[in-house]
Amino acid sequence: MVSVDPWLLITVILGFAMAWAIGANDAANSMSTAVGAKAITPKQAVLIAGVLEFTGAYFFGKSVTETIRKGILYSDKITDPQVLVYGSIAALLAATIWLMVATKFGLPVSTTHSIIGGIAGYGIVYAGLSVVNWDKMGQVVLSWILSPIIGALMAYLIFKALTKSVFQSKDPARSARIWSPVWIGLAFVVIGTMFYIKVLHGKDLKTGVLFYGIPLGIAVFILSYFLIKVRFLSSDPYIGVESIFKKVQVVTSGYVALAHGANDVANAIGPVAAVYAVATMGLAGMQVPVPKWILALGGVGIAVGVATYGYKVMETVGKKITELTNTRGFTIDFSAATVVLIASWLGMPISTTHTVVGAVIGIGLARGVKAINKDIVKDIIISWFVTVPVAAVVSAVIFKILMFVG
Amino acid sequence: MQVWTKLFAKSPFKPLIKHSDVVLQTVETLERALRLWYEGNYEEMEKVAIEVDRLEDVADRIKEEIRDSLSSKFLMAVAREDVLIYLHMQDKVADAAEDTAKWLLVKRPKDIPSDVKELILQMGTESIKAAKLVHEAIVQMDRVIESGFIDKEIEREYEIIKAIESVESKIDGLDTKLMQLVFEKENELNWGEGFYILNIARTLSNISDKAKDAAERIRLMMNK
Repeated sequence: MVSVDPWLLITVILGFAMAWAIGANDAANSMSTAVGAKAITPKQAVLIAGVLEFTGAYFFGKSVTETIRKGILYSDKITDPQVLVYGSIAALLAATIWLMVATKFGLPVSTTHSIIGGIAGYGIVYAGLSVVNWDKMGQVVLSWILSPIIGALMAYLIFKALTKSVFQSKDPARSARIWSPVWIGLAFVVIGTMFYIKVLHGKDLKTGVLFYGIPLGIAVFILSYFLIKVRFLSSDPYIGVESIFKKVQVVTSGYVALAHGANDVANAIGPVAAVYAVATMGLAGMQVPVPKWILALGGVGIAVGVATYGYKVMETVGKKITELTNTRGFTIDFSAATVVLIASWLGMPISTTHTVVGAVIGIGLARGVKAINKDIVKDIIISWFVTVPVAAVVSAVIFKILMFVG
Repeated sequence: MQVWTKLFAKSPFKPLIKHSDVVLQTVETLERALRLWYEGNYEEMEKVAIEVDRLEDVADRIKEEIRDSLSSKFLMAVAREDVLIYLHMQDKVADAAEDTAKWLLVKRPKDIPSDVKELILQMGTESIKAAKLVHEAIVQMDRVIESGFIDKEIEREYEIIKAIESVESKIDGLDTKLMQLVFEKENELNWGEGFYILNIARTLSNISDKAKDAAERIRLMMNK
């Protein structure tokens, strides 16, 4: 039996806790519109989210990760492997604590921002303010402000265009039959491209659009066109259109879960991989390989978070959101996915949570939702200002203690 | 993330439709009372008129619930003031019906000329039409929002509003006719009876006036 490094063991436990918190916290972001619009039940949502988050994490999570998330610190200033170990533990613990607190109070916080805050916190304590890559930090701050705004703008435009194209004509049932597949196809162009970029971690947007997005979009367009032609469910165009988008929402929300797993698992296991690299090879480089078992750990953690805590959130969402229709839900998913795509391509650390909330507000501004609680805007702004500093301070304190003890 | 449970507020439209249901019931019950009154069955009429009063109370309660639930923190498809004023107008329709019921309960008339009774009954029937159209208008408003304010649906809403306006002017016509009739017959009627009839007529035409006011508000909701 190989003796296990105690620090590694601690990091593994913390990584799992962080993954659990991500599952508990973010699960609702991918599934809420579908659950709220009654496209799926909370039970189904948990199953779909759990399986797809794990799939995304395990099969599509990056096999190489940066020791420092998003290059927020100049890693050449942190050469002592011991510091990297303590720092990773401090950042993980701080982000996990903050996520749990935020979940308790219902603040819409971003997991990515939490871990970035944690890493910046220990970096500053260890090597002063100059260790932080402030250009990167500036980008992060910018993305907080941009993601809800662009999400809102996108949803506003898409909602206007969708309702105009489907409902405006003389014969809405007919135009719904023609236009619904167009919108569904467009969504799948985005989904295909996202799959290439987010899940296969492809680099070239053109390749993504041409070889993944467009073929998938066309295939789905043709398929849904014939399906709708054969069985348009209702003489009432509204009910008919909603029932079409109800089915599509299952797919779009499942996709969001897959991309989320592929993307956000790194927040939990990046630090674990960094510590593992130190423990096994004694190196503290810029990039370290991520063994499959660590990806599985993250994937299982997220799935368990979804199943244990996320389930409760979904149930509440299912009961509370009674006003969301399927066309609106689709618009939110579609807008958020498109904005995240553009952001990934530009390399901006955008928050899915904030983008989705922005999209909901955008539909509200387009007079598409009967009532939205404006307090949520205040909550978002509070969480922007609070997440990074709080995670940083907590992480700094923990790091100090570890350096003192270790 | 509980952000989801805080994000969406309850739409005021389902409760508004529920309120409109009760208003319609109130007016329909009043019409039943008028019919019994026309037949001279005052025993039964009084029971039904008291029921009008009870239904008006129910409408009031729903109105208060909606008022309390409409926080100024909501971002809504229609302005909060418009919803609140509309609700107030819609509630006035039930109030007007209750006013008529009160007049019916005030006294048991001896013998009112049948052509006068005929006209009163006709006014009652027309005011039901107005109340039904208001109900239709608020259901259609829900649909206008559902469609994302599509011209075609707005068009249909305007048709309903126009129909309410034409019912209102029809009742106005009947009201004028009735006033003339009462003064033609001033020698057959004592002052009390004349006063009684004119007030029933006035409160009845009030029902459609209020329905028209409510329709006006919906017009404002649509062109924000």
